[in-house]
Amino acid sequence: MKIAISTDGTDLEAEVAQRFGTSQYLLIVDLETMSFDTVPNPGATGQRGAGMQAVVLAISKDVKAVLTGHCSPAATRQLTKNGIQVYAGLTGTIKDVINNYKSGDLKESAADVAPTTRGAKIDTITVLIALTSSARQFAMMLPILISVVLLIGLFNAFVPKEFLLSIFSGNPILDTLVGACFGSIFAGNPINSYVIGGELLGYGVSLFAVTALIIAWVSVGIIQLPAEIAALGGKFALIRNGLSFVMAIGIAIITVAAINLILR
Amino acid sequence: MPRMLIFPASVLVLYGILYAIYPDKTSMALKSSGNIFLSMLIPLALVFALMLVLNLFLKPAQIVRFLGKGAGIKGILLSAAAGIISMGPIYAWYPLLKQLRQKGAGNSMMAIFLGNRAVKPFLLPIMISYFGWIFVLILTVLNIIGSVVVGYSVGALVREESNSPSERDSAGT
Repeated sequence: MKIAISTDGTDLEAEVAQRFGTSQYLLIVDLETMSFDTVPNPGATGQRGAGMQAVVLAISKDVKAVLTGHCSPAATRQLTKNGIQVYAGLTGTIKDVINNYKSGDLKESAADVAPTTRGAKIDTITVLIALTSSARQFAMMLPILISVVLLIGLFNAFVPKEFLLSIFSGNPILDTLVGACFGSIFAGNPINSYVIGGELLGYGVSLFAVTALIIAWVSVGIIQLPAEIAALGGKFALIRNGLSFVMAIGIAIITVAAINLILR
Repeated sequence: MPRMLIFPASVLVLYGILYAIYPDKTSMALKSSGNIFLSMLIPLALVFALMLVLNLFLKPAQIVRFLGKGAGIKGILLSAAAGIISMGPIYAWYPLLKQLRQKGAGNSMMAIFLGNRAVKPFLLPIMISYFGWIFVLILTVLNIIGSVVVGYSVGALVREESNSPSERDSAGT
């Protein structure tokens, strides 16, 4: 879990800065490892809207809390609205306030409910925040997506079609099973499964197999099984993945059957 | 190197090696990748637009409020909706699910949430461009129904286990 602390210094011994919006830096601290990142505050120039630039920065860094000397009501409101807790009125070194935060000694600043922001009005700051997080999510998706497309290119050029068609025999039940297995092993953003599935269709692989692949890609995860077991327990993870695997096959068969019925 | 760049880097290395051995075929591969990517440009632009709209109107804090609340039909709908609108890699969600479990959210709701992550509204443009909207519609509806079936089966099979020893932390918030 990460938190942001406003400061004019660059390490954990520095003092907490009095103003969140115009401090020189935001120190982004990972509470588990206590490693930190010193990020220049775009609002340090003190120009109009400085506080909001700091807010956008904090949100884009995915922090859970902001620790500072003072945070304006508008900034507090925006942070709180985005699920970030604000602790203001703090003094002392960053190390000390983090320790206080960890031991639960700090009191969260309440965001005042501003009637002006209610209703359908979307202000610039909301758009800016949405743009920043969309750009980040999109950028996170792209490297893997481009790599997958590049791999498909290699596959097109180097692997003969006969090879794929020897794995996918044309038998709907067997193909669905193979597709579901393939989807269970791989994981990640579903967009990659659409691209792979779409290209496989072009190769002449059956829709049964491709559909099972797309469903199992997300709902069954062999690679992330250890993480799921750690978070939700072994029995839960194994039963859920097993049932989802069976369900992927079932849904694939029904989906394709329904489409054949409709398009006939 | 950041973990998310290992795979792209490996692909680039693979291209480098193959180009040294089979320059013609590798150029063909690159061209074929380029074509795939070009055909995805418009759907990808739509994906970005949809992401923006979702980010404008939905906040992570709201998704958290959705999950694990309410019982019966309401609970099912809320968990399914939370799964559908949740974004980002699944790893980011496990800590949250764990926390919700400690606050009393049921196994069925967790499973329904995880199952519905397959339905991603902002990726629909890509999916439709590849498979057509009839396929996408049928698959989406069946997937939601399927996730509820799986969710309840998981709930019935796992029962409410006593909290496992791994649930000792959750410091912080």
